[in-house]
Amino acid sequence: MSVVVNEPGVAEAAEVAPGRGTFLLRTLRRRPSASLGATILGLVALAALLAPWLAPYGLHTQAGPVFGRPSWTHPLGLDDGGIDMVTLLMWGARISLVVGFAATLVSMAIGGTVGVLAGYFGGKTDTILMRITDYFLVIPDVPLMIVVAAIWGPSLFHIVIVIGILLWTGTARVLRAQVKSVRERVYVKRARALGAGHVRIVVRHVLPQVAPLLIANTVLTVAVAIFDETALSFLGLGDPSRTSLGKVIENAFQRAAISSGAWWAIVPPGALVALIILGCSLVGGALEDALNPRLAVAHLSARTFRLRPPVGRPGAS
Amino acid sequence: MRGADYVIKRTGFAVVTVLVAVTLNFALFRLAPGSAVSDLSRVPHATPELRHALKQQFGLDKPKLTQYVIYLRELAHGNLGVSFANEQPVWSNLRTALMNTLPMVLLGTLFAIVVGTLTGVIAAWRRGTPTEAATVTTALGFYSMPTHWLGLMLVIIFAGTLPTGGMTNEFLIDPSFWTHLKDLASHIVLPSLTLGLVLYGEYTLIVRSAMLETLGEDYILTARAKGLKPWTIVRRHALRNAMLPVATLVALSLGYIVAGAILIETVFSWPGIGRAVYEAVLQRDYPMLQGAFLLLTISVVFFNLVADLLYFKLDPRITE
Amino acid sequence: MRPLLQVEDLHVWFDLADGGELHAVQGVGFTLERGERLGLVGESGCGKTTTALAVLGLLPPSASVAGRILLEGEDVLAGGEATIRPHRWVDVAIVFQGAMNALNPVRTVGAQIVEALELHGVAHGAAARAEAGALLEAVGIPARRGGRFPHELSGGMRQRAAIAMALSCKPKVLIADEPTTALDVMVQAQILELLDGLCRDFGLALVLVTHDLPVVAQLCDRGVVMYAGRVVEQGPVEVLYHDPQHPYTRLLFAATPDLDDLEGPVVSIPGAPPRLDRPLAGCPFAPRCDRVFDRCTVEAPALAALPSGRAAACHLTEAVVR
Repeated sequence: MSVVVNEPGVAEAAEVAPGRGTFLLRTLRRRPSASLGATILGLVALAALLAPWLAPYGLHTQAGPVFGRPSWTHPLGLDDGGIDMVTLLMWGARISLVVGFAATLVSMAIGGTVGVLAGYFGGKTDTILMRITDYFLVIPDVPLMIVVAAIWGPSLFHIVIVIGILLWTGTARVLRAQVKSVRERVYVKRARALGAGHVRIVVRHVLPQVAPLLIANTVLTVAVAIFDETALSFLGLGDPSRTSLGKVIENAFQRAAISSGAWWAIVPPGALVALIILGCSLVGGALEDALNPRLAVAHLSARTFRLRPPVGRPGAS
Repeated sequence: MRGADYVIKRTGFAVVTVLVAVTLNFALFRLAPGSAVSDLSRVPHATPELRHALKQQFGLDKPKLTQYVIYLRELAHGNLGVSFANEQPVWSNLRTALMNTLPMVLLGTLFAIVVGTLTGVIAAWRRGTPTEAATVTTALGFYSMPTHWLGLMLVIIFAGTLPTGGMTNEFLIDPSFWTHLKDLASHIVLPSLTLGLVLYGEYTLIVRSAMLETLGEDYILTARAKGLKPWTIVRRHALRNAMLPVATLVALSLGYIVAGAILIETVFSWPGIGRAVYEAVLQRDYPMLQGAFLLLTISVVFFNLVADLLYFKLDPRITE
Repeated sequence: MRPLLQVEDLHVWFDLADGGELHAVQGVGFTLERGERLGLVGESGCGKTTTALAVLGLLPPSASVAGRILLEGEDVLAGGEATIRPHRWVDVAIVFQGAMNALNPVRTVGAQIVEALELHGVAHGAAARAEAGALLEAVGIPARRGGRFPHELSGGMRQRAAIAMALSCKPKVLIADEPTTALDVMVQAQILELLDGLCRDFGLALVLVTHDLPVVAQLCDRGVVMYAGRVVEQGPVEVLYHDPQHPYTRLLFAATPDLDDLEGPVVSIPGAPPRLDRPLAGCPFAPRCDRVFDRCTVEAPALAALPSGRAAACHLTEAVVR
């Protein structure tokens, strides 16, 4: 379920025209929550990207004892294999982000297609596609993920597909609603009247209008995908050959980090996941919010109108 | 009754969805590749008689279509097969597990609703102040935490003060009713708290959003013009309308929460339905899996229907 | 005899999302005598609604206010929300556009009237319900309709119910903000007749906020014409109609089609009102005025009093007076 955050203190609806490339940047600039979220994501992505060069130690090098305590040389301590936690976090973020984005890509592809088709063609196509969506929605996702991952075998590729298959419904619904409203707009009808083909209309007129919403939805989906990957890893169904952040947590849990008192093996990786998800939620929520032409005027609030000293007549000669 | 046909239509849709879910369930587990999946009678250590009885009951040597019909028939009788793991009927296993999960989930949901509504109202009321920003950020923060990680954090914090595993203390021999109750209570705190903390953020945001929208309605201005005190307006006019989405959210979430409790039950070794699913997967206990899956899907459909009807009943504006 | 309502040098600013301010009301002033009917006229966005809301202090937190609002001599704006609230509904009541959500959709119409009665101690319990029924009858709604929800009533009936609720605590001033704008023409006429009768019977003073000139001509004694947040002319309605002093007033009346003169050209005022989020030099109407001259773009005209209870803010009239 997506998270919509009304920006605190905004007195009037932001006047944005969706469909422009600068819409994204403008929203980011105007809303502090979006800027915060984007900053968080940017930093994490940067660290993850540069992991091979920036990581202080080797990913498989034992740098000290099992569950070594945090120290100056190892600010976040060592894990159950004696590997430096900071290194683990950076590499782990890499895998988690990759899985998150890949799964989201799958989900976007399916959901986007279904949503656009259903919204654009309407009628029978719409009904059929929406029925299918409804049935998918009803399936409890975590159990399904577990079952499929268990039957299919743990591998990064399978995880990505499984998560993608579960998340597409949200995108489909949101896109369908938007495509429906865009389809009714004057210039689309005009293009139809002029005889433009469906593909042309969709690509040139519908998609640009729908793009910002798609981006917002994508960001929010990434958050869920990363969460799902963490959950699967925790339940032992993740790819054992890759150390995602979820796997780091699972390793620590399995090797009794808690009873050993090695909180540094558990707290940082989860905190990082939480930060990534928070960043995505902030950005995605702010985007969705900016696209909702809802007047943010409240007639009532704890604060009341303010008084000012008297002015005197304007333009008095 | 107002909108009887709406009720009938939605119930009909729910029934159809259940049938589709049942069919898909059958397809997923019986038709999937791997004979281990399709052979319901392969209970390990089972006596030949039991194997034979199951084969008969579910017609496992007959063509798939017949199997489907038989499956439906057995389903109608509440026969979901026998668990591979403990050789008990799947249904009784599931029922026990469900009874264990429900109190924990309900308690957590209650916490989430109460805390979420309070914080949501505060955030909307103190719009534009640091209080609002702090409330919303905290809510989002908890909402973003991976459920199992939060559970582990609570374990780290409270280990020693509160029990962190299982539902009861197995070493208590023949406890009195009150001791037993206290024991249960102390065990349920951490898992419910984890669930509540992870869930409440969503309620905060929904309530805040709904409250802000309600507070922007014209009748609020009228109420203010009438000379009502601000808090009276919130209590009497705004709150009821703002809580509408909460009611439906609760109903919807209940359908999914039961499944989502898997992570919590794993962390806290809570013998509930989530953990049952997980262990069934690990042990390749397909009858249990199939049964649990069906149960969870039906619960989602059921609660979706409840949410639909609830919204319809609560908002006098909807006339279908 | 002190006027019932005096608005003096009222300014309202609204905070904007990007940090600026919208100066929505710029130095508006007028008086209202007991039983008098005043029309507050102007196009959308001229600040007339904001002015009306300011009288009751119904402004959002993003608003700042300066000026004086005197209710029977008492400055109710001086203490902000605290000083204004006691006067709401019992001294000044308001009716909004009828087709809007002005009534709470999940409570019955009768219950909402009773709420007003009980809040201000006019009546309680069964007596309040009876009084609510009587009020509904007075506006032409059968009393038992009080048990209905707002969406079960037509637009016209909702508006009547709102009027009944507004009169429940016997206010001295009734503000009607575009009371007929969202209604059919037939229903409009009924509502106007109702307002006319009620004001006469109860001795109410009326402030009618509207952009619809014929309505003002029908109901009001005096008119206050607003443009870009300021008062540009005021005076008795007859005189405004026959002898407008401000070009805007003249063009406004000319732009209203005359049913008796179907051959005449339909005049409209070209251009659009100025933005109010930045300070203006000169007269705000200058870009659209048909009598503009050099002084107009440099110096803003002040609202100058004219003989027989009139005033206008135009350099042309100043010249005439001098």
